[in-house]
Amino acid sequence: MTWALPHLLIVPVILPLLSAVIMLLIGSERGRSKSIVNVLATLAGLLVALEILRRVDGSGGSGVIGVYLAANWEAPFGIVLVADRLAALMLVLTGVVSLGAALYSMAGWGRAGVYFHPLFQIQLMGLNGAFLTGDLFNLFVFFEVALAASYGLQLHGSGPTRVRSGLHYLAINLLASSLFLVGLAMIYGVMGTLSMADVAAKLPHVVEADRGLLHAGVAILAVAFLTKAAMWPLNSWLVPAYLSASAPVAALFALMTKLGIYTLLRLWTLLFSADAGPSAHFGGPLFLYGGLATIGFGVLGLMATLKLGRIAGFSIIVSSGTLLAALGFGAVSVTSAALYYLLSSTLAASALFLLVELVERTRNGEPEPLREVDLEPGEDTNLDDDEAPLVGRAIPVSLALLGVAFIACALLVAGLPPLSGFIAKFSIMAAIVSPPGYGAPSVPTSIAWGLFGLLLLSGLVATIGMSRAGIRHFWTEADQPPQIKVAEAVPVLALIIVCVWLTAQAEQVMRYTHATARSLHAPTAYIDAVLSTRPIPGPTRPNIDGGGAP
Amino acid sequence: MEALLALVIGVLGGAGVWLVLRPRTFQVILGLALLSYAVNLFIFSMGSLVIDQPPIVKPGVAPTLDQYTDPMPQALVLTAIVIGFATTALFLVLLLASRGLTGTDHVDGKEPS
Amino acid sequence: MSLIVLLLLPFLGSLVTALLPTRARNMLASWAGLVSAGAAAWVISLFPHVRDGGVIREEISWIPSLGLDLVLRVDGFAWMFAGLVTVLGALVSLYSRYYMSPEDPVARFYASFLAFMGAMLGVVLSGNLIQLVLFWELTSLFSFLLIGYWYHREDARRGARMALTITGAGGLALLGGVILLGQIVGSYDLETVLASGDLIRTDPRYPAALVLILLGVFTKSAQFPFHFWLPRAMAAPTPVSAYLHSATMVKAGVFLLARLWPALSGTDLWFWLVGGVGVTTLLIGAYVAMFQNDLKGLLAYSTISHLGLITLLFGLNSPLAAVAGVFHIMNHATFKASLFMAAGIVDHETGTRDIRRLNGLLRAMPITGTLALVASAAMAGVPLLNGFLSKEMFFAETVFLKSRPWIEIGLPAAATLAGIFAVVYSLRFGYDIFFGPPSTDLPREPEEPPRWMRIPVDLLVFACLVVGIIPSMSIGPFLAEAARPVVGGVLPAYSLAVWHGFNAPFIMSLVAVAGGIVGYLILRRYQERGLLLATPLVSRLNSKRMFERTLAWFARLSNKTLRVVGTDRLQPQMFVIIAVALLLGFLASQTVPLVWGDRARLPTSPAFVLLWVTGIVCAIGAAAQAKFHRLVALTLLGGVGLVTCLTFIWFSAPDLALTQLAVEVVTTILFLLGLRWLPMRLETALPRLTWRDRGRRTRDLLLAIGTGSGLAALSYAMLTRPATQSISPFFLSRSLPEGGGANVVNVILVDFRAFDTLGEISVLSAVALTVFALLRRFRPPEESIGETSQQQALHAETDTDLVSPRVARDAGRGYLMVPMVIARMLMPVAVIVAVHLLLRGHNAPGGGFVAGLAIAIAFLIQYLVAGTHWVELRTKLRPARWISLGLLYAAATGLGAVVIGYPFLTTHTPHFTLPLVGEVHIPSATFFDLGVFGVVVGATLLILTALAHQSTRAHRRRTSPPDTSESRGAA
Repeated sequence: MTWALPHLLIVPVILPLLSAVIMLLIGSERGRSKSIVNVLATLAGLLVALEILRRVDGSGGSGVIGVYLAANWEAPFGIVLVADRLAALMLVLTGVVSLGAALYSMAGWGRAGVYFHPLFQIQLMGLNGAFLTGDLFNLFVFFEVALAASYGLQLHGSGPTRVRSGLHYLAINLLASSLFLVGLAMIYGVMGTLSMADVAAKLPHVVEADRGLLHAGVAILAVAFLTKAAMWPLNSWLVPAYLSASAPVAALFALMTKLGIYTLLRLWTLLFSADAGPSAHFGGPLFLYGGLATIGFGVLGLMATLKLGRIAGFSIIVSSGTLLAALGFGAVSVTSAALYYLLSSTLAASALFLLVELVERTRNGEPEPLREVDLEPGEDTNLDDDEAPLVGRAIPVSLALLGVAFIACALLVAGLPPLSGFIAKFSIMAAIVSPPGYGAPSVPTSIAWGLFGLLLLSGLVATIGMSRAGIRHFWTEADQPPQIKVAEAVPVLALIIVCVWLTAQAEQVMRYTHATARSLHAPTAYIDAVLSTRPIPGPTRPNIDGGGAP
Repeated sequence: MEALLALVIGVLGGAGVWLVLRPRTFQVILGLALLSYAVNLFIFSMGSLVIDQPPIVKPGVAPTLDQYTDPMPQALVLTAIVIGFATTALFLVLLLASRGLTGTDHVDGKEPS
Repeated sequence: MSLIVLLLLPFLGSLVTALLPTRARNMLASWAGLVSAGAAAWVISLFPHVRDGGVIREEISWIPSLGLDLVLRVDGFAWMFAGLVTVLGALVSLYSRYYMSPEDPVARFYASFLAFMGAMLGVVLSGNLIQLVLFWELTSLFSFLLIGYWYHREDARRGARMALTITGAGGLALLGGVILLGQIVGSYDLETVLASGDLIRTDPRYPAALVLILLGVFTKSAQFPFHFWLPRAMAAPTPVSAYLHSATMVKAGVFLLARLWPALSGTDLWFWLVGGVGVTTLLIGAYVAMFQNDLKGLLAYSTISHLGLITLLFGLNSPLAAVAGVFHIMNHATFKASLFMAAGIVDHETGTRDIRRLNGLLRAMPITGTLALVASAAMAGVPLLNGFLSKEMFFAETVFLKSRPWIEIGLPAAATLAGIFAVVYSLRFGYDIFFGPPSTDLPREPEEPPRWMRIPVDLLVFACLVVGIIPSMSIGPFLAEAARPVVGGVLPAYSLAVWHGFNAPFIMSLVAVAGGIVGYLILRRYQERGLLLATPLVSRLNSKRMFERTLAWFARLSNKTLRVVGTDRLQPQMFVIIAVALLLGFLASQTVPLVWGDRARLPTSPAFVLLWVTGIVCAIGAAAQAKFHRLVALTLLGGVGLVTCLTFIWFSAPDLALTQLAVEVVTTILFLLGLRWLPMRLETALPRLTWRDRGRRTRDLLLAIGTGSGLAALSYAMLTRPATQSISPFFLSRSLPEGGGANVVNVILVDFRAFDTLGEISVLSAVALTVFALLRRFRPPEESIGETSQQQALHAETDTDLVSPRVARDAGRGYLMVPMVIARMLMPVAVIVAVHLLLRGHNAPGGGFVAGLAIAIAFLIQYLVAGTHWVELRTKLRPARWISLGLLYAAATGLGAVVIGYPFLTTHTPHFTLPLVGEVHIPSATFFDLGVFGVVVGATLLILTALAHQSTRAHRRRTSPPDTSESRGAA
């Protein structure tokens, strides 16, 4: 395929790196200019991502897959960057969320510690690289880039709680990384290659004796990803880590779990598609049951807390569970719905994380124990005892704005109408109970019904939790109307507005996600695109047919 | 030789796991270090054991895996070593900070009750 | 004009209201009234189009691929409801202008009020079931906001939450049911669904769908056992109760019953569920209503009972009953709304709603009193009032129902009993408060309300009379149009006459009235004697309490469970992750039984065995010693590192060996710098091991052994299997000619896979920055601040060569003199070595990383020997600058290729001849390596110096405040 801008694909990785370097060179004192550079770079990244999306989606539905040979070596020998619909989607999502976080951090958040902005950009570099790369080991490297930056960001501002949860976060991720390497090594040992496309191409013809080894490697790899994707029981680290992180960082972290989900989706649809011979649909049940368990865990968490931050964290867990379960279906319609859900839930979660900080300002002091909240008051409180005419309390404007934003987030998280959360849930539910053939024949109906029920239940529990917390924060004598900077309010509203747009344009978005899902479940196009791309002939590359692909 | 190396990897890995499960931060960091040794050797062992055939091409020697050991795992291990070094350093500093802020070297930042 | 505008009108109105000044109640009220009146007029003007089964239908495409389009559809039934919603809306907004107190910030009230009206319109106008659910949930949301309007009151908050929880849950169930329905029919379009009743009723999924949908209906319409939220919702301002909780929202449930009647009704399941719940609610509601002392409470329970009546009618599976149901929906809306308003007036004028305190109000407020009496008569079903007519039809239905005998007896009996109850509570409402001696101790002196506050009541009561006296002329045609779509197009024969002759229903009515009066007198007698004040019998069975208990219990339970299935401690988490990995890895490896390959083994060399015996001893020793003898453990770890390093050399990996060695050195120094801050731990101060400890350790040991053997097995299997295809020959063959380097590993790093290396140095930088940021906030633990015991042993001023290196400007004196000299001479050598390693890296073991570490180590030695002060007085290291420049350099090299039209990081090897030297070729990869070099130097130094500074800072901390040596290590 031909790209008018041949080097577009490298920009999402290089741009953040260079801007990080620039901010390092600016020096430690000029915080303002740094945050401006940060926002501008993030904005540019978003624009590039949109452009990539536009090109990848191509004209007239037929998707175009962009392949970029870093260092001009063809796959499987060199490292390729691949932009298909899924990658482009994730890039755009990253762009939107990170722009929100960057704007938010303009309100002096960078001052809580040094090097906030450079780390922010390096994190983006890691995320974008991981979404784009077509090479397993390179994926590991970019995971590490994203993680290394995330350690710094999570600890940003220091303090005992941050350090404590940061220590756990770091230890667990180091462990996961070792697992990642072990699995990776075994795949290389068996397949003799690291390019995802090449592995996928060779996988059906693996020597039967080696298949066990290969599966073992893949399983170990899966544990690493599932830990990052927060599948129960590997997810206890998530809530403390996100809770202790500063607001913009937490908002950005909403993407980190999705990185795990993305990787699973990418690798499993690529490697274990229907035409993967004996290995077809390997691991599907794990995702299915793991996903159900994770939703259950999230529901418990939502029910057990009054703290908005924890609610936000557990809502992330619920969405991870939903996505995992959907992935387990391995059916186009479900995957498509899940992708839409991924967009909506990620935006909602990050908006919520940004909002939590602002809301908590209105109210300080620990939440009263749940029992008191849920137990009834004395009888006859209905008779109005103070026999004066009742007068309502006026709500200050800032608080009212927060309230509206909060309601929007609550609707999104709980999947209540009319916002995109509802559309997402509805489409998933419709997809999983729709007749086989269109749906997933591989999944027993009882499981489908279980997921159906769990989705409803999680919605209900989220409603209960959100209303409890909302009442606690908004329907009280606000000690003082919260002081909110414009830079903090704008991103929250912007993220919500994006969700509104998702709702209004649902048809277009779903057309895109459906196309994505279809190409994901028929990976030959991806494989061919990668393996057929040839390097540019040059002085050091006299013969470009170059040993050919194996 | 192969059996020995496998055994070694197993022992290092086992020792690492044991330490990683201990309550004191210093034990955990040693465990992670041992684990990374084990993992590096594991990756390295994917290239099969070859003696005196370093992947440095000499003129007149056929560039095949019979003449040279597999360079790929070595490259991977190199990267892994670097990243491991970085993260170990970070963990060390983090455990010092935790010790300084919480006053204990327990991984949970508080002595078990 | 388009229906969508009609639907949007209230929402837009609500938006405008939110922008108006919050206390300008005249402006707000008139605006709200204007909007709703306009909507009402619009709806009414539509009547000609829905005459004789006409239907207006509008579609706006939204998400066709999901079968979810906005379909607005008005038939007779929808028209009737839309009229109800808008007309009452107009009346209520007029009423609340006078009800709400002047200080009240009513903007919020009117905004939610109008928004609710819009949502309600959306429900009744929906032509698509998913869309209906959408607006359905919106009504729950806005009613939540309205009930909680006076949120400073505990009961308002609770009532709002309870209503939201119950109706929200119902809404979700409804969603599930509707999705099922859609799956059965193949479309969510209302008309399609209504048309395919038989298909639905025969489908196996019908029961599930029905139950889910009914859950939605019953919660919304406050049917038993979900009725309890309605009385709690009475904490809302009375206009809200009059609007939501009598006329509109609670009617949404029965609306849906009627809407889906053609599609779902006609089965036994339907009869038992809907009919059963209906009759139960009818009786319980009426029964409890009799004993209420709160005016609004009484009205709430009577509403519940009337909703039960309507539900029952739809449950009877007979078209005639359905018509009666539709009729009663209208009648109930009129008289109940007026009653709520009247109650509001009483409350507003007297300041209390307690029936026991209110007496003889008729003298003070004659007009209001009369209106209230008429309305309550209608509620009781007294002839010549609209309530009477629909109640007669209801009685008739119960009598003429053909079913099992016990039902044919029981149902009329139940109906009559409910009738008696109705009369009783109507009397309590009417007679108790308006007759008898005027009460004296009222908070406020009662008087007639302002005229306009009463207008809505006037109109509604007037409607009750008109309908009650000349039904067929007044309501007849509208009822016909409203009922037609419900019964599926063909109206059964019915007559709306007041007098049907002396038949069974009439007798039942008489019995009801007579019995009611008697019952009222008895009840009154008892209550005067202070008995029967609380509701007898059922006060035990209090579903509200059950609900709240359940919620609290669930919260507690989930708290407990969470502590079991989740943890905030690190060790269990690590354990689980490793265990899961082991388990899954094992299971997966069993897909094909694991077998050892038959590749030729290398002969075992004793030296190597010896080497690794040492290594293993070191490893196990480190594991054992790590707790109490950190230094020993550290040394042993170093031993393992060295053995690994030798292994790399042994198996022809010189680069690895080199790197491993350098990393070992740096890491060890790091550890040594860090050790100082860890707490002293003495083996003697060791508490006895409990059995739990032992158990935990055995468990961990087992896992460790398991993991170890797993790893060993996998690597052995890998090592012994015959080598299959690999991409490596490509690298070997291309390295020199095209990569321009003989050292394949290095060429891979800087050329084939240079992208990895770029990421790698980013990781290094990020970590270094993090470390620095973290250490800036570092607070050393108190007990480690002081000098070590050895240092404390000697006086600071004693002139011995055992100076404390921390206070000395130049530590390179005394016993450190000799090392100092060597170290300083070492510096240039180290630089040369580094440069050599860097340049040769491409063709021989070496490269930017090793070179960087070499330089870093050289500097470190200076730090160690001469002390921080000495070094930093003489050299200005700026590690952060090194890092940024290194990154910049590497990236720039990569972009250089882009400039000349090649992909990022493409390398070139220009060949040119220098005098004397001859032909040289310098691959651009070398420059990339230079970037790596810079980053490594910067990162390593940043980490180590930042750590080194802690000691100086900690020392200074005792004398001067801390943090004076901020950011010394960095730019």
